[in-house]
Amino acid sequence: MPILPVQAYTSQDWFDQEQEIIFGNSWQFAGLVEDIQAPGDYIAVQCGHQNIVIVKGRDQRLRAFHNLCRHRGTQLLRAVGKKQKALTCPYHDWTYDLNGQLISVPEKEKEFPDLELDKICLHKASVDIWRGMLWVHPKPDAAPITKWFDGCWEHLGPHDPNRLIEYPDTVYEKTINANWKIVAENYIDVYHLSHLHSNTLQMYDHANAKFGFIGDHYMFWEPLAKDYKDNLEKLMPTKRIAEMTDEYIGAYVPWLFPNLGLAENESSWSTFHVTPLAPDQTKVVVRTKMEPMTDWEYTKQTAKSYASWSGILGTDSKYKNSDPDDPMASGDFMAEDIYACEQQQKSLKNPLFSVVATAQHGESTVRNFQKIIQRWMK
Amino acid sequence: MSAQFHKLKVAAIDKPIKDAASVTFILPGHLYKEFNFYPGQHLNIKFQIKGEEIRRSYSLNSCPHANEPLQITVKRVEGGLVSNFINDELKVGHELEVMVPQGRFYADIKKDDYKTFFLFAAGSGITPIISILKSVMIIAPYSAVNLFYGNKNQDTIIFKNELDELKNKYAGRLNIVHILSQPKVWTTWEQWKGKKGRIDTDSVEEFITANPPVAQSTAYFICGPGQMNLHVRKTLLELGIPKNLIHIEQFGGSADEIKTEIVPAEKAALIAHLNGNKHALNIPKGKTILQALKDNHIDPPYSCESGVCATCVAKVKNGKAEMKSCMALDDDEIKNGNILTCQALPTTAEIEIVFK
Repeated sequence: MPILPVQAYTSQDWFDQEQEIIFGNSWQFAGLVEDIQAPGDYIAVQCGHQNIVIVKGRDQRLRAFHNLCRHRGTQLLRAVGKKQKALTCPYHDWTYDLNGQLISVPEKEKEFPDLELDKICLHKASVDIWRGMLWVHPKPDAAPITKWFDGCWEHLGPHDPNRLIEYPDTVYEKTINANWKIVAENYIDVYHLSHLHSNTLQMYDHANAKFGFIGDHYMFWEPLAKDYKDNLEKLMPTKRIAEMTDEYIGAYVPWLFPNLGLAENESSWSTFHVTPLAPDQTKVVVRTKMEPMTDWEYTKQTAKSYASWSGILGTDSKYKNSDPDDPMASGDFMAEDIYACEQQQKSLKNPLFSVVATAQHGESTVRNFQKIIQRWMK
Repeated sequence: MSAQFHKLKVAAIDKPIKDAASVTFILPGHLYKEFNFYPGQHLNIKFQIKGEEIRRSYSLNSCPHANEPLQITVKRVEGGLVSNFINDELKVGHELEVMVPQGRFYADIKKDDYKTFFLFAAGSGITPIISILKSVMIIAPYSAVNLFYGNKNQDTIIFKNELDELKNKYAGRLNIVHILSQPKVWTTWEQWKGKKGRIDTDSVEEFITANPPVAQSTAYFICGPGQMNLHVRKTLLELGIPKNLIHIEQFGGSADEIKTEIVPAEKAALIAHLNGNKHALNIPKGKTILQALKDNHIDPPYSCESGVCATCVAKVKNGKAEMKSCMALDDDEIKNGNILTCQALPTTAEIEIVFK
């Protein structure tokens, strides 16, 4: 039976409370380390109701500040920027140094004779780097990120994301018409893998998947399917990840609470970042890194994979259909998931909506996730 | 602050390089607890040389978390009384009077720390630094160390082999960059391919830029001669590192911050509160408060007598004093009336101080 009420997926109240309680109090994915390269470069990310700026100082340390001017609260900076020497509010040009310290106020002598600049600093947040990713926490004194992910590392893939390369055309961005938890639950639903994705994720042996929770984080690993494994060099879409030796091979697909999925497999490493926009709207951004490859190596491997795929694994889609726009005929597991999530959301307002039963094993993950949400929201 | 000395026997003397001696002490079981220390702290030691009592502070290079015995390492200083005594005359079995470890230059490392340590050392300044380095490696598995280590040439790098071994053992967490001011072009082993120069403004900025931290919580420890410490600190501050993350220990010679314009009082009447007793005496012009107390056979806590160790700190209750040199107190502490009595000259006719 569902743990969370329907309102958890539909009401603005629930949504606002989640933003405050969950997203205002947890470490959240903010990007990849290489997103902020030189001193003065910054990015702004949303953590629930709060917008946070991460900026690199000349000392190579990252700092995180709440993106609001101490004067009248205006947002200081827009999404991304390069080589700032200081942070200036667009409204009245109040200026802060890269440590968040207020350093200048126009017409100070006349307008703010008593204001002591050195006592005013931007509100601080926490920032850290973990597994090649940037993480922020809205609180200035957050417990270390290693504590937040305590025990998770050994259940993740052997990949070294720092070494892998993101190719510019691999970013995937999509707004899904469903609550963010429906997207998360879909990600961790083991039961659906063999059904919704019977013809798109058949490279993996779902029956032998291993999964469970470490704290609030969901860990998942499954081996390669035999046909795929036996013909791996031919079928792999791109170059094999060097650390993915036979000992480790498989797909590591964890969900890091609250809103980041990882997909770490034999040939790529991806982040699946979910941002709640509204009770029934969620933005998903997928970024993928691979082994460094020349264009020629890339073309050669994808061509080989494409040519061999149908002969060994088949290319039928779940529904035979000539409509190229039908997600269920697309042969793309992401399109299948989005379709399922949106269909699920649509039914929530139906007065006849109910859940008659959930799978004992394959959907225990969804029940656990809901229990975690319930605990946070208490 | 306990000023009590304990007699400790020398267990071993080793030569890590030609002109330095590592002195290992035997610590009797009943003193184990008292001699617990944080990595970075030092020992105050009393020497009797040519009938004279001399005190010096030496940083412990042993790691308190590695089951290592107490060890200091002393580099020979040309003309230096104590360093030459240790290198030439001190022998296994001799006894020295040693105060329990102390000092405010230390790292408080926790198991769960996710932290990046930046360590800067020149010459024998490596002694407290290697203790911190090893402690981080042993205690805090998520934390990393970047060491920038300056020496004259290949033959003067103290703990070179040990550092090489640590670098291999903790690859991925430990990064060591050597810099030599006068590298020998040829040695018996290999040509120097590392950095050439000194730990100065440019090389420190380059080091920081080349080693961006992964764990974003950072700490900076600097130990070397005054000039180097000042350069490193200045550079780190200019790069935007907050003052409270930077820790400094002064080594080898006095600081370059010596004030020359102190106008001491012609004669000052001193009242000193020490261990519940009140001492009154006169300080002749030019004498430090500590010297005046010692001349009057009063025994306040002290050790290095060069403004470094902070053993002799006292608080001024009435009157004023100025310090010739001070590497051990920060601006706030000085503002609150703390002085190092070994460096303090009274500038008012009356002065009253309290030892802690």
